[in-house]
Amino acid sequence: MSAKVLLHVGTPKTGTSYLQDVLFRNQRLLAEHGILYPAGRFDAHFLAALDLMRLPWGGLETEAVGAWDRLAERVRGHRGTAIVSHEILATASRSQVGRALESLGHGSGTEVHLVLSVRDLVRQIPAEWQENVKHRSTLSYAAFLEQVRDPARESRIATWFWGVQEIPDILDRWGHDLPPERVHLVTVPPPGGAPELLWQRFSRVFGLGDIDLDLHAERANPSLGVPETALLRRVNRAANKVVEPAHYRPLVRELLAHQTLSRRTRSPRLALPPEVHPWAQQLAAAWSEEVARRGYDVVGDLADLAGAPPLSRWSDPDRPAEKQVAGAAVDAIRALLVENVRLREEEQRLHGELAEARRALERSYLRPSYRLREKAVRRLQGGRAGRGALAVYRRLRGRSSRSA
Amino acid sequence: MTSAGTSAVGPAGTPGERRAWGWVASLREGGTTPWAAWTGEAEARGRVLPGAQQLELLRRLNEAGRPTPALVRRVLEASAPGRGRPDLELVGAVDPGPFGPRPVDPADLPDDELVRVATSVLAEDLAATALPDPPRSGRPPWRRRFRLVGDPWLADAARHALGERGRHPGGRGATVLVLGDDLATMLTDAWCSRVLGEGAPPWRDWLDDSVSRDRVPPRVDVLRALRTWSDRVGRDRVRLVLDPAALPRLTGTRRPLPPVPALSADGAELARRTAPVLGLLALPERRARLLREALLPRLLAAGGPPLGVPLALGGWVHDRAERVRREVLAAGYPVVGDVDRLLPRVREGAREPSDAGVLDLAARLLLAGRDAGHDAGSDFSPTRTEDHR
Repeated sequence: MSAKVLLHVGTPKTGTSYLQDVLFRNQRLLAEHGILYPAGRFDAHFLAALDLMRLPWGGLETEAVGAWDRLAERVRGHRGTAIVSHEILATASRSQVGRALESLGHGSGTEVHLVLSVRDLVRQIPAEWQENVKHRSTLSYAAFLEQVRDPARESRIATWFWGVQEIPDILDRWGHDLPPERVHLVTVPPPGGAPELLWQRFSRVFGLGDIDLDLHAERANPSLGVPETALLRRVNRAANKVVEPAHYRPLVRELLAHQTLSRRTRSPRLALPPEVHPWAQQLAAAWSEEVARRGYDVVGDLADLAGAPPLSRWSDPDRPAEKQVAGAAVDAIRALLVENVRLREEEQRLHGELAEARRALERSYLRPSYRLREKAVRRLQGGRAGRGALAVYRRLRGRSSRSA
Repeated sequence: MTSAGTSAVGPAGTPGERRAWGWVASLREGGTTPWAAWTGEAEARGRVLPGAQQLELLRRLNEAGRPTPALVRRVLEASAPGRGRPDLELVGAVDPGPFGPRPVDPADLPDDELVRVATSVLAEDLAATALPDPPRSGRPPWRRRFRLVGDPWLADAARHALGERGRHPGGRGATVLVLGDDLATMLTDAWCSRVLGEGAPPWRDWLDDSVSRDRVPPRVDVLRALRTWSDRVGRDRVRLVLDPAALPRLTGTRRPLPPVPALSADGAELARRTAPVLGLLALPERRARLLREALLPRLLAAGGPPLGVPLALGGWVHDRAERVRREVLAAGYPVVGDVDRLLPRVREGAREPSDAGVLDLAARLLLAGRDAGHDAGSDFSPTRTEDHR
């Protein structure tokens, strides 16, 4: 049973991909210090979260069957400190939270700490819309804002948004059974601050300060600008019906969004419309007050939740500058061409390999004993004893293929 | 708002919470009183109060029958799967605060929300079903060789029934049998088949997409199948089969194949909504078998009006069917049966699933229990008759 579990449940767009990448790549080093980050693959905790919350995710959930129980078993089997981290856990229901905490050892002697990293709504709202667009959404920014601001919160967009962003409610669900000193709120510093400050906060709360970790990031969830997000939304409208989710992920989200369009950093950044600012800041103030009242451990400063003031020149992603969108589109086409060249070369190489394999097969057919061997195999496959003999023969010969 | 539970408010709780726990206790005992009419109180009996969706689903189950204690526990512990509204608090049980979703009167919840919770429990039932070993697929060389393509609902049913007789499709030189029916029926077949396969959007979304593109879905585009297979194996080895009674002869068996039952509109919708949840409880191969061999027989046994194409789309369906018929005749493909059978026929049924019907069906399946009402391993079987379709 783990002595201590640090359970990081969100929120999205607070540096979680970077944190998880560092933890994943430094598993061995962490283990030397008695810290377990149990992940056989980078997205192991994401899959576990899908499993816990029974959340279909474009077919990826088929890889998640039983993932939470496996993760929890590894945590329980560890004697030191264990870390579990995924941002979509923020939206878990109260009964799912109960199951998660119990499976990690809460109530059986394990000291469970909850970690919630949070960022101001001024950045979170546009970031969530962008995440939606990167997950095939065609919803306009205006429609997104309208749904999010609707007090009824009945749409899928609104229920998800508030499920992963409403800090007091997330802490209600996840921190219900925990004393406030075991609930840690990590605030993301305002824009323009020292880039290492967030990591220092994470490092403090996860107890990583004395470990010489490799902090080079291989994975991140980079942001897009206004014309790039607008372009992606148009791509979704045009291609959603013809590109299956399994292809969308590598081609659109990874190749186009993350590897290509995110590099265009000089375009206008997504931001909250000036008229929505007062509402968001009022909400943030109420949240800060509530969090302070509950006495949680705040790592950083609750003032970080206030967010930056409105931009003097706001750029509307529903009406982007077409010249900028065209520039982004050219970059996207170039990236797709380069990828297509790579695939064509790969196809040619495979064709060559296939032709060689066919020639080898034909040479094998031409050997006079082939027909005799084929007949013998067919006859052996007709009976149980024959099939057994063939299996033994193949095992001895060291090949796995079934037919001769 | 604070979630109502023992540790947040102390062991006694507020009067609203005690009233809520009283309602929970009555529902556990089979009570059917709506929340708004409930006045009794009880002490807390859990970590947190179950959500309004779970409690209302249990109340509906109590109205429909007598759920077992195990089912009661599972419903109260279930969460709605997938994206959507979170577990909601009962209005009047907790003080509405400035945070979190608004508390609700469970009676106001749409049936769709209750179906979400029900699919989670139903998927657990299915995942716990034991399946027999899959049948062996060996094929003696003297048997007639055939391949079944076309309408996937018909083809799957025929493949299954023939497989039970040891007659499996495939083999060198096999005759390709393109199974078809009237286009309206084939459209529902294609959707039902997709629901039990890789998943499908709602019926009307899927159908409207085909109509807006003026395109017959590929899996029931018999003309395309005829062209593809004629190019691949030669026209003399391809047949369009529109007469189900001819199928035994074409596949080398004497006994008629059992009729193909039609899945009800509500049954198909319940399957559509349960299948993704099952994808999180069973690996893909087992999930596919559970849908076909555990869920489908239960849905068929439950009955209900079959799904049909909305009347408003009748004109489009008729035009497309007429075009297919004309091109089949013009190309001279061999047809077994009357080629007019491709044209839409009047068929009674539901034009769309209803949330109330789906909820009612889900409740019946949950009450019937994990093993009742089905015989895992014997799903539907082939050859359609007018009685069944």
